[in-house]
Amino acid sequence: MQLCKFVKFREESFGGVLFETRSEKVYTLNQAAAAIVREIAAGGDMAEVGPISQRLKTRFHDPADQLEQDVLALIRTLQQRGLVEEQP
Amino acid sequence: MNKDAAVSAELSAPLYIAWQVTNECNLACLHCIEESGPGKAFSDELNRDEIFAVLQQFVDQGVPYLSFSGGEPMLHPLFFEMAEFVGRNGASLKVETNGHYLTPENCARLKQAGVKAVQVSLDGASAASFSAMRIRGDFDRTLAGLRTLHAAGVPIEINFSPTGFNAHEIGAAVDLAFTLGAESFYSGRTMYTGNAVKTWHKLTPSEAQYADFFAVLRQKEEEYRGRMRVHFHEMGLLDELRYRLHHPAALLIVLPNGLVKLINALPFVCGDLRRQSLSEIWANFQRAWQDPKVAAFVDRLAHDPGTTSQLHQWVRL
Repeated sequence: MQLCKFVKFREESFGGVLFETRSEKVYTLNQAAAAIVREIAAGGDMAEVGPISQRLKTRFHDPADQLEQDVLALIRTLQQRGLVEEQP
Repeated sequence: MNKDAAVSAELSAPLYIAWQVTNECNLACLHCIEESGPGKAFSDELNRDEIFAVLQQFVDQGVPYLSFSGGEPMLHPLFFEMAEFVGRNGASLKVETNGHYLTPENCARLKQAGVKAVQVSLDGASAASFSAMRIRGDFDRTLAGLRTLHAAGVPIEINFSPTGFNAHEIGAAVDLAFTLGAESFYSGRTMYTGNAVKTWHKLTPSEAQYADFFAVLRQKEEEYRGRMRVHFHEMGLLDELRYRLHHPAALLIVLPNGLVKLINALPFVCGDLRRQSLSEIWANFQRAWQDPKVAAFVDRLAHDPGTTSQLHQWVRL
């Protein structure tokens, strides 16, 4: 999985922004969402739900074991809005 | 994830830089906000070293999106080098052109540079309307350029400025844009700014014409949904400026000489890229929108629309 070609990600103090430059839509991300998108932007085989969740567990407190569901939900949203695509 | 636009004051840098790379133009359009035309290049436009130093700052600060406009940006001797620099460094670039220089060689180079889209002004579905608006313009040459661009695989956007003499062609213009392979079609009210202040009596559509115009656009928006984005805003200039007073976009307007404006339709300058860093200008941009002179100017505009004739008498904040 990777960000689509015209989708740009930038980290910010509040988290980050995703800019879909074709439709000129801007999405603001909180810290957790920005951390997930950073992993996707890094690309490669590790940009999938399982590996992303594993890496984020080292950074975010997750007592209810909810992180993987959150990652999955965000990725679904990104897919629905055409912001991510499978790598060729 | 919040799909509302980020509040610009919380951002570390602009999200969008709209750069008027030159004021030179081959055309002299009746409504040109920049009053561009042949021989109208500024005497102090940025030189090569300054241009690439500025571009490097944009890249270093993570600006994700730029547009190059003018004047006619493709007349700038460094246009392709600039476009290629942006593409090489991972930002998206939109080129706003009158479409008169879209030769096969140039279209291939635009494709290779990876531009996000080329936006071409097409104010009419007939040569008569187009030529009435775009003095020295060539409708057929523009259409040929658009076909070449499409063949080269470069995404196309069309921009249409309505007037009393072309508003009735809006439906045909949207259809034409689609047959030319456009991905997006943009329109809105023509602004009482720049050359339009002098030519308003020839330009302005009546409110009845505007009502019909927007009704057709609403219909076309539905007709082309999922195939071509038909986007238009019915807000007039004054309403737009009042909104921006409270919601500044994360956008800087860069003039050919490196001065940075708050927004096209205001005369206020918040920085100079020859002398200040992007970070410094971005901080000043946030302060400048709060300056009482900006709100006072917008208020004055409500009583005297002719105030927009002062847009090029820059006021530094």
